Amino acid sequence: MSGYRLSVGGRINRAAPLSFTFDGKAYQGLEGDSLASALLASGVMLFGRSFKYHRPRGILGMGSEEPNALMTVERGPARMTPNLRAPSVALHAGLAAKSQNRFPTLRRDLTAVNDTLSAFFPAGFYNKTFMWPRAAWESVYEPIIRRLAGLGDSPTTRDPDHYGATYAHCDVLVVGAGPAGIAAAVEAAATGGRVILIDEQEEPGGGALADPAQWADLAASLAALNAADNVQILSRTTAIGHYHQNFVVAVERLTDHLAPTDAKGAREKLWRIRAGRVVLAQGAIERPLVFDGNDIPGVMLASAARTAALRYGVAVGRSVIVMAVHDSGWRDALALMAAGVTVSTIIDLRQDVAAELVDAARGAGIAVHLGCAVTSARGRLGISSITYAPGGTVDERAIACDALLMAGGWTPTVHLWSHAKGTLRWDGAWGAYLPDTTHEVMTCVGGCGGAWDYGSGLALGTLPSAKPLHKRKGFVDFQNDVKARDIGLAVQEGFRSIEHIKRYTTNGMATDQGKTSNLNGLQIASDVLSRPVTEIGLTTFRPPYTPQTFGALLGHHKEALFQPLRKTAIDDWARDHGAVYENVAQWRRARYFPRGAEDMDAAVLRECLAVRDSVGMFDASTLGKIEVVGPDAAEFLNRLYTNPWKSLAPGRCRYGLLLREEGFIMDDGVAGRMAPDRFHVTTTTGGAARVLNMMEDYLQTEWSDLDVWLTSATEQWAVIAVQGPKARDVIAGLVSGIDLSREAFPHMAVREGHICGVPTRLFRVSFTGELGFEVNVPAQHGRMVWEAIHAAGQPYDITPYGTEAMHVLRAEKGFIIIGQDTDGTITPEDAGMAWAIGQKKPDFVGKRSLARPDLVAQGRKQLVGLLTEDGTHVLEEGAQIVADPDQPVPMTMIGHVTSAYLSPALGRSIALALVADGRARMGETLYVPMPGGVIRAVVTGPVFYDAEGSRLDA
Amino acid sequence: MLEIAPMKLSAADLALPAEALVADGVQLALADDYARFSLRARDAAILEGLLGRKLPAKIGETLDGVACLGPDEWLALLPAGTALPLGEGLPVSVTDISSRALGFVVEGPRAVELITSGCPLDVAKFPIGRGTRTVFETVEIVVWRTAEARFHIEVWRSFAPWLWHALAAAA
Repeated sequence: MSGYRLSVGGRINRAAPLSFTFDGKAYQGLEGDSLASALLASGVMLFGRSFKYHRPRGILGMGSEEPNALMTVERGPARMTPNLRAPSVALHAGLAAKSQNRFPTLRRDLTAVNDTLSAFFPAGFYNKTFMWPRAAWESVYEPIIRRLAGLGDSPTTRDPDHYGATYAHCDVLVVGAGPAGIAAAVEAAATGGRVILIDEQEEPGGGALADPAQWADLAASLAALNAADNVQILSRTTAIGHYHQNFVVAVERLTDHLAPTDAKGAREKLWRIRAGRVVLAQGAIERPLVFDGNDIPGVMLASAARTAALRYGVAVGRSVIVMAVHDSGWRDALALMAAGVTVSTIIDLRQDVAAELVDAARGAGIAVHLGCAVTSARGRLGISSITYAPGGTVDERAIACDALLMAGGWTPTVHLWSHAKGTLRWDGAWGAYLPDTTHEVMTCVGGCGGAWDYGSGLALGTLPSAKPLHKRKGFVDFQNDVKARDIGLAVQEGFRSIEHIKRYTTNGMATDQGKTSNLNGLQIASDVLSRPVTEIGLTTFRPPYTPQTFGALLGHHKEALFQPLRKTAIDDWARDHGAVYENVAQWRRARYFPRGAEDMDAAVLRECLAVRDSVGMFDASTLGKIEVVGPDAAEFLNRLYTNPWKSLAPGRCRYGLLLREEGFIMDDGVAGRMAPDRFHVTTTTGGAARVLNMMEDYLQTEWSDLDVWLTSATEQWAVIAVQGPKARDVIAGLVSGIDLSREAFPHMAVREGHICGVPTRLFRVSFTGELGFEVNVPAQHGRMVWEAIHAAGQPYDITPYGTEAMHVLRAEKGFIIIGQDTDGTITPEDAGMAWAIGQKKPDFVGKRSLARPDLVAQGRKQLVGLLTEDGTHVLEEGAQIVADPDQPVPMTMIGHVTSAYLSPALGRSIALALVADGRARMGETLYVPMPGGVIRAVVTGPVFYDAEGSRLDA
Repeated sequence: MLEIAPMKLSAADLALPAEALVADGVQLALADDYARFSLRARDAAILEGLLGRKLPAKIGETLDGVACLGPDEWLALLPAGTALPLGEGLPVSVTDISSRALGFVVEGPRAVELITSGCPLDVAKFPIGRGTRTVFETVEIVVWRTAEARFHIEVWRSFAPWLWHALAAAA
C-alpha cells in the first residue's frame, strides 16, 4: 500500500468521484482515471498473477504495452471481457473488475507453488516432460496445464452486443495523436484533403498528456483540428493492422468507457481505412531493465510513474528509486519531484551522465549513485527494498523503497510500419530498430521514427550482476514469464536464430507481442552468442497490434447476419407446409415435407412412391444456370464439356459432363439449346459459382478468340420439377403455346411458351427416371406458378418432395451426384460414364489427361451398385469395403460406399459404391466391416430401377 | 459442454419487409420493378446499332438507364416490360435478367455513410450518375448514384434479405 493521490495536478476531475470494485472490494477513483491509476491512487500494488509461475505482479507500464495487469471486467450478464490491460480501461461509475489466474484469491494464490518450483519449469519444460504416455496429453496434462497457466476465462453466454463496421477513405491517415501525430495532422489538414487522426487512448495527446507544459499547445491544436471540417479525430481507436496499399484496419471502442446503463448502440466499430498517405506517429515504449526481482509489484517503468503523477495526479510511492541507464529516467525523476513525488535515489550504470542532469538531481535533494546497478529488488506482494552495487558487483548495499522505476531506454513502435513490409535498420544510439525503407506512401514521425529527443543512454541485455546467467531471476517477458536464463538455455540447447529462440522460450509470444521484451531478448541472445544484434535477426510483427474482441472483427457479420442464407422464391411456401430444411452451399433447401408425425424415413418413402405412382413436385430453383450466348456458344461448350454440342439442334437438351484439366469430373448438368447462338446451361447447386469462374477463366485466358458471353441466370429463374407418370396431365391445363405431346415434345427437349400466363422455358428432363418436366419461370412468378401447379395436381394427389427423396429417386436410377458419388479423383470412365465423352471431338478440357497411364490403369475405383444380403440393412455412406473380412488388420480397403438408401421402389436397401475394378466384380460378394459386425453385399450395376428407361419416354 | 442459447433471430428469419425503413438521416426502400438486361459485346457499336441507343463508353459511366460495368459489359435498367431485340446471329449477347435482382433505394444525407459502412469504394467521391459493380461486405451489388443524396442498389434476389438487414443494422 504505497501509492496515493497527489493533492494537485493531473487531468482528472477531482470534483467527480467514481465508485468501482476490484475483486469485490469497493474503491473510489476520479473521472479521467484509468482502472490502473485509480487502483494505484488507492494504494493497490498487486494487480495480477503471472501466467506460468503465478508470481505477484503490479503495473509495469501505463499504456497498451502493459504485460502484467490483465483484468476481467464485468458489465452485467453475458458482458464479461477477460484480459483487459488495466491502464487501458477507462474508469466509469460502477466498474467491476476482477483479477485473473489466481486461486483462491489474488493475495493468497495456492498455485504460486509453480514459482517455488520454477527451477524445474525451464523453457521447453512442458514439451519435454509431458510427452509420454501420448494418450495422456489430451485427457490429463493439457487440461491441467491450461487451468494452471491461463489468462482470464472466456464468456460462456451469447454476446448480447452488436458491432459496427465501416470503410473510410482519406488523403492522409495519422496513427497516433501525440505531439508528432497532431503536428502531422495539422499540416495535412492545411492542404485541404481529408484527414483522419486516430489514437488508442481515452483522449488525444499521447505523451503530452503526461507533460503539463504542453497542455496549452495541445488544447489549441486539437481545437483547430476539431474545427476543421476535413479532419476526423477518432479516439479510443486502435490501428491494429497495416496492409498493402495503405489499407489500415482500426477498432474503435464506442461504449466500454461508459457505465453500462449509459451504453447505447454498437459496442465497437471496425474501421477499414484506405489512405493516400499514412503517417505513423505511434511513439516509443520504454524498455524495462533485467535484474533479479524486476517483476515485483512496485517495480515499473519510469514513464509509467511519470504518467501516473502528471496525467492522473497519482504518486506511485512515498520513497521512490530510479534505476536508469538512460537520460529519460533522470528527466522523469525531476518531473516527479516537481509534481510532489519523493524520489530518494537515482542509480545509473553510466559513469558519465550529463552534468546538468546530475546537478539538477542533487539540487533537488536526490541521492545519486553513478556507475552502479540494482542487483536485486526485494519484497513479496510489493517491493520493500533494493540492493545495488558498483558495476553490479558483490559489493552490495541496500536501500528501502516502495517503488523502483526502470529507465532502460526507448523502443520505437514500428509494428504498423513492419505490417506494411517497411524495412528496419539497427540504430546503435537508440539500441533499437528504426524504420528504413518502404514501398508504401508511408512515413514515420516522432518517437516511432527515431525523431524524438528522449536523451541518450545504454542498450543492455541485463544489468550487470555477479551471478552467472543461469542463476539469475530477472524477467524479460513479463506476460509469458520468460527469464534471461531461459534465453541462455535456448542458446545452450542449440538455437541460434531469434525466430527459434522466441518459439522455444515463448519470449514475445504473449498477448502483448513482446512490446517490452523483444529488444531485451534480442540483446541477451546477442550477449550469450557473442554476436552482434543485427546477426540474430528480428521477429516478425503481426496484426493485431493489441488483442481485439471477435465482435469487433466480425462487424456486421454477427448471428443472423453471419452470412447470407439464400432462399428460393418458393421457400416461404415450403415453410408454410412444414418443410424440414437442409443447407446446400449458401442455400437452404426443403429436405422433406413430413405429414403429421412422420419421421424422415416415412416422409421420404411416401414422397418417392408418389413420384413413381402418380406425380411429385420439387423446387429445383437453386440449380446453377448460366446463359451462354454468342455466335461461338456451341464451339465454346464443345471445348469445355466432354460431350459434343455442335450437333445439338435448337430445342434439344443434352447432359453435359465437365472435367478439370486433370481429367476428373468437376460438375455436370443439362444444357438446352434455346437458339443457334444461345444455350441455357445448368450446373449443380454448389458448383454454380466455380463453374462460371472456370468458364470465364478459359474464355478470358485461353479462348479469347471466341465471340461468346456468359451471364449468370441462376436467380433469374425459379425452377419447378414436376415428375411422375401424371406430370403431363398436371401441367397440360396451365401451359399455352407448347405442344406437350410425347411426339412433339420428347424427352431431353426444351420449349418456350407460357405457363399461368407468364413466359416459361419448359424442359422435358428427368432426374427421377419418370416422365418429367422442369418448369423455368422468372423468379418473381415462381411462387404463383408453384401454387398453380400444386392446385392443378390435386386430382392426382400431387406430392411436394424434398432433396432427400430426390436423392433416393436418382440413386434408384444410378444417376450420380457430384461430390457425393465423385470425390475429385473420378474420371468419366471410373463413373461408368464414358458414353458422355464425344469420341470424335479433337479436344475438350481434361481430354489429354484421360489418356494418362494412371487414369487407364487397372485397379481404379469404379462406380457400381451394392445390394446387401439383408435387404433391410442400409449401408453407411463412407463405409469402407474389403474383399476378405478375415484378413489381418490393417485390412486392404478396396473402396467405399458413396450413397445408400432404403429404396421404396425396390422395397429393399440399395447402395452406390466406388470399388477397385468394380465392374469386373459383378456378382461378387464384398464385405463392409462395421462396429456391429461385417455386412455382406453383392456387387451389381448401378442402375436399380427401370434400366431400359421406358418410364422416361412415357 | 457449454449450452449457448439459441439466437433470437436467425438467418432463416430474415425477410424483406413490406415497408421502407426510416432511420436518422437515411431511408431505405425497395425500388420499383425494372426490366433488366445484361448486354455484352466486344464492339459497342454493334450493340448500339442493334438497340438503337448510345451506350456509356467508360466503366462506371451511365447513360439513359444503362451502366457500363466492364470493358464489354453493360447493365440496362429500363422501365418494366421493356423488350429488347436479342441480336441473334450478331456477335453480341442480350440476356433478360429482369427477375435476377432486386433494387433498393438509399436516400438521405447519411446515404453515403450507410453504403460506405460495407462497401470498400470511396462512394463519397462518386459523381451523380456513376454506377459500378462492387460488394457490400461479401455480397455483390451494383451501386448507382442517382442524385446527390440518393443511390440505387442492385442485389441478386436471394441476397436481398441479408443486404436489407445488414443495411438496417448499420443505419
